[in-house]
Amino acid sequence: MTVNYNEQLSALVDGELRGEQLEHVLDLLKTDVQAQQQLQRYQHTSDVLNGFTAKLHPTNLSARLALALEDEPSYAVRSESKAKVLPFPSQLWKQVSGLAIAASVGALAVVGVMSQPENQLVSAPVQTAAYEVVNDVHPQLASGNRWTVSEPEVEERLNTYLVDHNEYAGASGVFSYARVVSYDAGQ
Amino acid sequence: MSVDLELVQRVQAGDKKAFDVLIMKYQQRIIHVITGFVHDPVEALDVAQEAFIKAYRAIPNFRGDSAFYTWLYRIAINTSKNHLTSRARRPPAMDVDAMDATNFYDAPELKEFDTPESSLLSDELEAVIHQAIDDLPEDTATAIKLREFEGMSYEEIAQVMDCPIGTVRSRIFRAREAIDHKIKELTGEGE
Repeated sequence: MTVNYNEQLSALVDGELRGEQLEHVLDLLKTDVQAQQQLQRYQHTSDVLNGFTAKLHPTNLSARLALALEDEPSYAVRSESKAKVLPFPSQLWKQVSGLAIAASVGALAVVGVMSQPENQLVSAPVQTAAYEVVNDVHPQLASGNRWTVSEPEVEERLNTYLVDHNEYAGASGVFSYARVVSYDAGQ
Repeated sequence: MSVDLELVQRVQAGDKKAFDVLIMKYQQRIIHVITGFVHDPVEALDVAQEAFIKAYRAIPNFRGDSAFYTWLYRIAINTSKNHLTSRARRPPAMDVDAMDATNFYDAPELKEFDTPESSLLSDELEAVIHQAIDDLPEDTATAIKLREFEGMSYEEIAQVMDCPIGTVRSRIFRAREAIDHKIKELTGEGE
């Protein structure tokens, strides 16, 4: 083990070793007992300087743990199986499909808002609109659809329903959704 | 990416030896923390061992949301409390917040192992280390002090001392070598 390696071990104690040098030192520590002891000595000095006074020799725990961890499995297999669970293409498809669904919902929401009449949330204009709709029966609709109201009394009641509904909804802060009131001509 | 996280990822990829480096790095701190709960030295070592084994078993789930030491610290505290509960002793009411774990040095509520022999060795060791630092050339001493006492990174030290990071690294290394030499003289391990 060279002085250069000792310098790298010193940097490892300080958490200042990166990249290739870190790789080399960690590989060295797997096999080189002298490097392991030197790292332990540097770490021990650092611990003492930081107030972790060594009243037990640090090798006691290291040696015990090395034995205890021999029976523990390594995690390589688990890591590989994790990688197989979400291979890149399926992950990509998940992301793309999720994005497409989100975009569709967003587009529907925008179209829905844009198609609302401007005056729907204001009670007074709605009232006017309701009167207009009921009173102004179009000639082309008059032939056989539900807005064909011949009796003034029924027309008046339907009109009142719509106005009351819009006034109540507007005053209570509830979204006014009714646009049409129908009735069964037989009743 | 921090060195700790890189080591954790290596363990997660099947490199068990990378965990040895993490043990080496944090064993003293963890023992220090555990002795705040478990005062008997032998028991404390058992609890520390259990905490590290629990950490190893849980490491596949570590995602790096917190620093590795903070995560390990929590495991050590929980293991200590469970140990006391299993021995039907009351865990101490006062805890140290996990966020302070990285700066957890001389909390007064923590007691250390305190046999006369170990205290003597520890005191001597500290004295030798400090004397070794005092004997260093000024720039080398400054570099190791900024690193160990102020907790500065190499980059910060390079800015303070107005020199390249490589120079900081070699100065700190030379300081550690000088300290190590003095320790070997103390323990009779010198060549």
